[in-house]
Amino acid sequence: MASQTDAAAPPPRMQLSEFQQQLDDLAQSAREDFSQAADTESLEAARVRYVGAKSGRLKASQKLLGQLDKSDKPAAGKSFNETKQLVESAFNASVLRLEQNASDSVHQEQFDPTIPGPRPRLGHLHPITQTIEELKDIMGRLGFSVADGPEIEDEWHNFDALNILPAHPARDPLDNFYVSGGETTSVQTMLMRSQTSTVQIRVMENTPPPVRIISLGRVYRPDTPDATHLPMFHQIEGLLVDRQVTMADLKSVLRIFASNYLGTDVHVRFRPSFFPFTEPSVEVDMSWQGGWLEMGGAGMVDPAVLQAVGYDPDAVTGFAFGLGIERLCARRHGMDDIREIYKNDVRFLHQF
Amino acid sequence: MLVSWNWLKEYLAHEVDPAELAHRLMMAGLNHEGTREVGDDLAIDLEVTSNRPDCLGHIGVARESCVLLQQPLRLPEAQPPVSDTLVDELTGVTLECPDLCYRYTARIIRGIRVGPSPDWLAQRLQTVGIAIINNIVDITNYVCMEIGQPLHAFDLSKLKSGQIVVRQASVEEPFLAIDHHTYTLDPAMCVIADAECAVALGGVMGGAATEVSANTVELLIEAAEFDPVSIRNTARQLNLHSPSSYRFERGVDSHSVDWASRRCCELILDLAGGELAAGVIDVGRRPSPSKPIVLRWSQLSRVLGIDIDRDIAGHILTELGIQTKRQDEQSVEVIPPTWRRDLSREIDLIEEVARVHGYENIPEDARVPMVPSQRSDADRVLEIVRRVLLSAGFDEAMTYSVVSEEDSSAFSLWTTAPPLRSSTPMLKGADCLRRSLIPSLLRARRVNESLSNSVVELFETARVYWPEDDGLPREELMLGITSGGDFFSLKGVIEAMVAAIQPAATLTVRDTSCDLLDATHSAELWIHDQLAGYFGHVSEAGLKRFSLRAPATVAELRFSALASIADLKRQHRTQSPYPSVARDLNLVVDEQVRWSQIADSVRSAAGELLEDIRFHEPYRDPDKDGPGKKRLLFSVTFRSSERTLTGEEIDARREQIVAACRADCGARLID
Repeated sequence: MASQTDAAAPPPRMQLSEFQQQLDDLAQSAREDFSQAADTESLEAARVRYVGAKSGRLKASQKLLGQLDKSDKPAAGKSFNETKQLVESAFNASVLRLEQNASDSVHQEQFDPTIPGPRPRLGHLHPITQTIEELKDIMGRLGFSVADGPEIEDEWHNFDALNILPAHPARDPLDNFYVSGGETTSVQTMLMRSQTSTVQIRVMENTPPPVRIISLGRVYRPDTPDATHLPMFHQIEGLLVDRQVTMADLKSVLRIFASNYLGTDVHVRFRPSFFPFTEPSVEVDMSWQGGWLEMGGAGMVDPAVLQAVGYDPDAVTGFAFGLGIERLCARRHGMDDIREIYKNDVRFLHQF
Repeated sequence: MLVSWNWLKEYLAHEVDPAELAHRLMMAGLNHEGTREVGDDLAIDLEVTSNRPDCLGHIGVARESCVLLQQPLRLPEAQPPVSDTLVDELTGVTLECPDLCYRYTARIIRGIRVGPSPDWLAQRLQTVGIAIINNIVDITNYVCMEIGQPLHAFDLSKLKSGQIVVRQASVEEPFLAIDHHTYTLDPAMCVIADAECAVALGGVMGGAATEVSANTVELLIEAAEFDPVSIRNTARQLNLHSPSSYRFERGVDSHSVDWASRRCCELILDLAGGELAAGVIDVGRRPSPSKPIVLRWSQLSRVLGIDIDRDIAGHILTELGIQTKRQDEQSVEVIPPTWRRDLSREIDLIEEVARVHGYENIPEDARVPMVPSQRSDADRVLEIVRRVLLSAGFDEAMTYSVVSEEDSSAFSLWTTAPPLRSSTPMLKGADCLRRSLIPSLLRARRVNESLSNSVVELFETARVYWPEDDGLPREELMLGITSGGDFFSLKGVIEAMVAAIQPAATLTVRDTSCDLLDATHSAELWIHDQLAGYFGHVSEAGLKRFSLRAPATVAELRFSALASIADLKRQHRTQSPYPSVARDLNLVVDEQVRWSQIADSVRSAAGELLEDIRFHEPYRDPDKDGPGKKRLLFSVTFRSSERTLTGEEIDARREQIVAACRADCGARLID
């Protein structure tokens, strides 16, 4: 019967011992893989590899049962079940292990480099000061030293010496901040300077030519504050008086100045204009992005001004120019309302 | 000045592109503000500088254009036919105030028909923004806009006794103007009056009583020249600005007065009919001839930096209407035209040549000689001040120089003199020139508090104005600081700043008193024997005064006190190669004893090896030390430049220090 069966059945292709060996290898390898899995993803991959319902290695081993001799099957089946339990318990142990690891790392102190460092609070220089320093720096390199003068002036320095005659509308009380009061017994008329040109007069009165200065500071004109006007603003004025100073020198200095300020080589353009203290007088434009940008006013120092300070207009000539600093500052920093400049909102100041 | 393109080109002999002309004019001095289409016309907006009143009429602009375009100028003749009647038989003019009205002319036209203006005239006026009234008024406005000479037409039949008196207004004289407002005049103003009352405010506005109406048949045409300053004051005072006052303020061409009168009459005869009486009534001064000017050819290159050919320069002057009287190799003597009263000096002619020749011909690559520039010590000190304060977290503020009376009075320790005041407030309610920066900085704090900005650390360097008995005020550059930190953190910043300016500076404090500052937590700050400033907590009352919620400290220092001690060229000293030895001390003293006293005792007892004294903190433990006592914790450091110090000798020094503090200040050592 057995032989009949044996004759009819295919010959056994696998020995029990060989099957046993395979199961032992599988268990060993599964234990190792499970214990080496560092995270749930790799553990799951290992699980599929060994216990996967379709193509796991256990499944493959189960299929081999059919290749064993019938008499060996009970023992083989028992071994298979033991191995399966071993593999499953090894898997469960690793699941526990990973869970344990995860909860350990939650409780352990961890270094977090993403936390911001305690920043020292750094102050910010006012944008007007930054603009002034930039202008001083550029003009300093061009040989212009800074000169200073009072903000409260007499009429001589603010008007007469600048060739602004008594009938000139610029002297109108409505266009100036005249000053009185205090305990002054002086009958002298005083006003808050309406331009920094006053400093030029003071310097020339006290210094023989040559003179090469810039003056910077606050000036005052009764304008109602709006986005582009303030009753107090800053000016920079340059003055160069020497033998043989010409309008070509003026244009060349302004071109270097503008190129320096804009950081690129630019051209300047003169348009005729009128100021009492210069003649010829011009408006200065600088070339910028295919157009022209207004820069300020300039001209050759009027002979009447040179005479007023005791210079000989036949011996020396000079040029002068003036620029409004708020306008430069606003353009430099993209401000659309210059009233912000004197509000002192620290958020505003911290932008620059 | 708005220019009608259709109007302007009537004076030009040849075609030209309006955009091209506007650009040329801009580059010659009439800044082009923009061009706008009005019907089939263009309104070209040109900015006329105050020295060029000749360009406040179309003919003036045409004259400039012709110079630039090298074209002849076409001008109307202005020679109206006259009747047999003499003007003298019809009216008379008395000029009583030649200082206010230099010259007054009158012509008479009778038998006119008032009606609407023809379209060409109305359209031109509309282009330049002048309201259309009737043919007579429109013609006076037209001629004003043509030559820049304002005119006025009176209804002759409404002039009492048909006479004109040019006189000062009487005190509080009422005047009903064309705008049907009544103005109150004063004697500085010039009125045109008839036998009874003012019928016009000279050069500023006509009167309602004599204005031209639909029934008017007889006209008196006024062309006059008024004093610019008086016109300006009158217009300002009454806030009555007109195209007429605008032109008289800047000065009209005396020689155009009569031309304008004739031109006006010519147009009236053409457009409204009537007969012009022969002659003109012309009272007042005659226009003075222009004075000759000498231009030395060499001055052109001396001022402009370029050589301009003498023939070209001479040609430009001629084109501008400047007549040559005499000319040689060195110079030319010329007479400027009557409409260019701004030309009186050689430099004026140089500018004329330069601008017509074109500033683009002036090079921008001249070799300007190099010279060194000097930076002042004050500027360097200012930079140190800024650097320290920025590092300490202070932002630079900038506040107005003028403050309100209330703010001005908030802090006045520097001077007792009342503040100077500006004639008009700089900002609402602010007319006091500030004597301190502190009130302005507290206002800035308030602004930031209202914006919920939590950290407000500000400083400002600006001038204050202290009135002097005589002459200009004393202007002091001040450093103002305001902080949300306490007394000692502010003091520490000031100490660090002073040390950065002069490491050897001795800073001391003295008691001070003012309402704005806290009674105890405030002090004068002295550098050597110079009062440098004040600092401290803002008092409760002070916080309230500036509507501040959070505690604040302030400081104000005279910049000159900082600059005067500056050490800007530091000298090297060899550093000792030996280690230092430090000892801590903990002394119990009476509350009245100040740290400065202890520090003095330490210094005198420690000897030459003392390197540093460092204060740590005060500590109070009444249970252990008894009431009215405090502990001062500090350390002293010793170092020799010659050897390593031993612990024994330093302990001995420490004993000397303790003994000195006990003797000087009643201090007791806690071990």
